[in-house]
Amino acid sequence: MFYIVTAYHAEARPVIEYFNLKKVVKNSRFQIFAGSDVVLIESGPGIVASACAASFLLSEFKAEDKDAILNIGIAGAKNADLKIGDAVLCHKIIYHDTGRAFYPDILVKHAMKEGVLETFDFPVAKEDLPENSIEGDMVDMEGAGFFEAASFFMPPHKIHCIKVVSDYLEKVPVEPAFVSRLIGDNLSLIRDFMLSLESVDSFFPRGLSREDREVIEKLAENLKLSFTMAHQLKNLALFYLSSHERLPEELFDFLNVRVNSKREGKNCFERVKKLLC
Amino acid sequence: MSALKSCFARGFSHIYVEEGVEENPLAQEILSKFPKAFKVRIKHYKDVFCRPRQNFLVQESSRKLIIAAKRGELLYPGPDVCQDFGNENFYYTSPALNCIYSCEYCYLKGMHPSANLVIFVNLEDFFKKVEDLIKQKPVYLSISYETDLLALENIAPLSAAWIEFARGKENLKMEIRTKSANYPAIRHLKPADNVILAWTLSPAEVIKKYEKNAPPLELRLRQIKKALGDGWKVRLCFDPVLYFEGWEKAYEDLIGRIFSEIPACGINDASVGAFRIPREYLKRMRKNFPPSEIIHYPYAERGGVYTYDEKLKGELLGKVRSLLKEHLPEEKIFLT
Ligand code: SF4
Repeated sequence: MFYIVTAYHAEARPVIEYFNLKKVVKNSRFQIFAGSDVVLIESGPGIVASACAASFLLSEFKAEDKDAILNIGIAGAKNADLKIGDAVLCHKIIYHDTGRAFYPDILVKHAMKEGVLETFDFPVAKEDLPENSIEGDMVDMEGAGFFEAASFFMPPHKIHCIKVVSDYLEKVPVEPAFVSRLIGDNLSLIRDFMLSLESVDSFFPRGLSREDREVIEKLAENLKLSFTMAHQLKNLALFYLSSHERLPEELFDFLNVRVNSKREGKNCFERVKKLLC
Repeated sequence: MSALKSCFARGFSHIYVEEGVEENPLAQEILSKFPKAFKVRIKHYKDVFCRPRQNFLVQESSRKLIIAAKRGELLYPGPDVCQDFGNENFYYTSPALNCIYSCEYCYLKGMHPSANLVIFVNLEDFFKKVEDLIKQKPVYLSISYETDLLALENIAPLSAAWIEFARGKENLKMEIRTKSANYPAIRHLKPADNVILAWTLSPAEVIKKYEKNAPPLELRLRQIKKALGDGWKVRLCFDPVLYFEGWEKAYEDLIGRIFSEIPACGINDASVGAFRIPREYLKRMRKNFPPSEIIHYPYAERGGVYTYDEKLKGELLGKVRSLLKEHLPEEKIFLT
């Protein structure tokens, strides 16, 4: 599942259309839209709003490590190295107020530019700030809050800020329709990146499947195994699976066994161990 | 599989550089080797290396490089699980963290929160610490401890720098342990009497199955032969000795092959150690890595260390020692 946080509806609209998302009613003040494998939340502007929206989304939808979360939005570029309309994957996100920096793990290939994002608590106009007071290549008002909150839930290779350059930090308002067009024009690049992120997980063998875990929990309960023995059982199952496709059939016979004492359980456990070693 | 693999960014696509080391000559040398990498400034290497919830397994497919300066403690007393070869005052140091190889049994996977490679470029600080220490007592120092230092030589010529530092220092004996075939990177140096080049050797099937990215046996042997020919002190390390189906024959073949290619009389000594790993590291590896015959093997625990049960451990060590005894005098064989 992909989770997407945008600040404004103008940023969300092209994403909603592209992924064919439908509005979902949830008990929160956030607007949420969902499809089969993408859920989007509109946080509103600001670092706190973005952090809250990311946390709400990831807890409400019970995100797992295999999922990913993206902050997609516009940002002002410090200089003309970046062009209006460039999609930039951020490899460093600085919270201007504290100087604290966050680093997403960029493990997959992508066709976007890369740069440093600096998040301010207020709208930035270059002319209002002393020279050299912006460290980032781009400026926004959400990225650092989003990233810090998402880091409580997800691994750093599954949290990314993608910013599309909308202006050069001049005091010129950016029209919503222009924002939507900028984001919309980059969605195929962003989708390709999402596909790469997704394929990373399928590349690696998994541990125990949910069914395997259920079998092991049931066995531990039936055989009255202690915490340590249950742990050993899980490890032995993994050891067995390192050289077999699935757990041995004979193991499932033990699912019908009920023991009356710990000693009986221990004897059964010895037989289970032999099966798995 | 390869299609999926191609979704990964190339290794060292990003180089994180700690504030304050940008001008360090070694940092500059390293950076010049990766002109296409994104250079990202960081305050402290731990800001990247110690991020929460990193996935070591996935990171190994697109390792990043961190260039930093190590502060605080730079030398550590050698741990009990490591062989001191009869030397007093055994210390180790870590000029780099992590490795470009990926051995399935490597304890670094359980020790570090990240698969990224850290290179510490403040060599002079390390040297100063060693100099201070050897003024007090003779020191036996392992410098390839949390890494394979020689494997990194083409990225950062640390082994060469350490060898030159150690040369002629009477109170210092130094070991550089490696699985690499990178001896040519230091071949221009004159052998140093107090430096031992130690090669870890494993049966060909172990290398193929469990020592991902490390050079095959044949290439390691070729470099050992060259190093011996050039006059270096060479140690052979059979550590870890692993248990697997057919292990006896595999170690017979290994040792037979080694001494059919290498003159036994040139070997300084050999170390033999059964697989062992601190409990906490193995716990972390078991949690974070997919099913593995090594990681998930039902080891016995003794004093916070997991290893084979006494009987099996005795058999493994006994067998390898007796095979070695056919070629080396007993006093040159060290068991752990
Ligand atoms: S060569 Fe050594 S340090 Fe490198 S992965 Fe293998 S065991 Fe670990």
